[in-house]
Amino acid sequence: MTRVLAPVSGQVVGLAGVPDPVFAQAMVGPGTAVDPERGRGEAIAPVSGKVVKMHPHAYVVVDGEGHGVLVHLGIDTVQLKGRGFELLATEGEEVVAGQPLVRWNPAEIEAGGRSPVTAVVALDAAAEALSEVRESGRVEKGTGLFSWH
Amino acid sequence: MAQRHVKIRSKVGLHARPAALFVQAAARAPMDVTVAKLGGNPVNAKSILAVLGMDARHGEEIVITAEGESADQVLDELEAAVNVEAGDA
Repeated sequence: MTRVLAPVSGQVVGLAGVPDPVFAQAMVGPGTAVDPERGRGEAIAPVSGKVVKMHPHAYVVVDGEGHGVLVHLGIDTVQLKGRGFELLATEGEEVVAGQPLVRWNPAEIEAGGRSPVTAVVALDAAAEALSEVRESGRVEKGTGLFSWH
Repeated sequence: MAQRHVKIRSKVGLHARPAALFVQAAARAPMDVTVAKLGGNPVNAKSILAVLGMDARHGEEIVITAEGESADQVLDELEAAVNVEAGDA
């Protein structure tokens, strides 16, 4: 069982709250999303494992069970080509859950006309594999967002 | 065995959104489907983790491989899925 932690603090909005139909319809995978608190902050590793993909605006960490979790910081943020994101880890690195991976500022993303809503997605998972999925309320970075069986 | 070479036209590469559409199309295929970057190791085209990990970028070429009777049709659909959003990415 994988316990997936919130990579950012903020308001949980669920995948349905992501202003992108591909995420909102769980086409990338099941999971949830957090509208992050504004201001400079660090997004953390949602699980312990290997960073298999490290983009400025998104990363994937795969744990010992082979569960890959995608954290996607904001919507259409790929267009920023890394501007406003500082990488704190490199691809291939082993990280522990809670370790800061990207420094960013959701307020800046928003000021640029994009949503900073952060999707946390279980890759190659069936929706039934997830439980205790947070869909609403306030969440603190590093606390549980969902369990993956 | 049928193969298709496809150039990634999406400016963002085969990442979250286009990758999800591609993997969904692959998942509908009745047979195994693999995808590789030109000269790279083939990965399971039905796995979003594998496709995101492949990290195919704008301008790069990928090779999609399928086997069986309907392989050509499957490859047509996948080729379309790769660049479905190329105009507005």
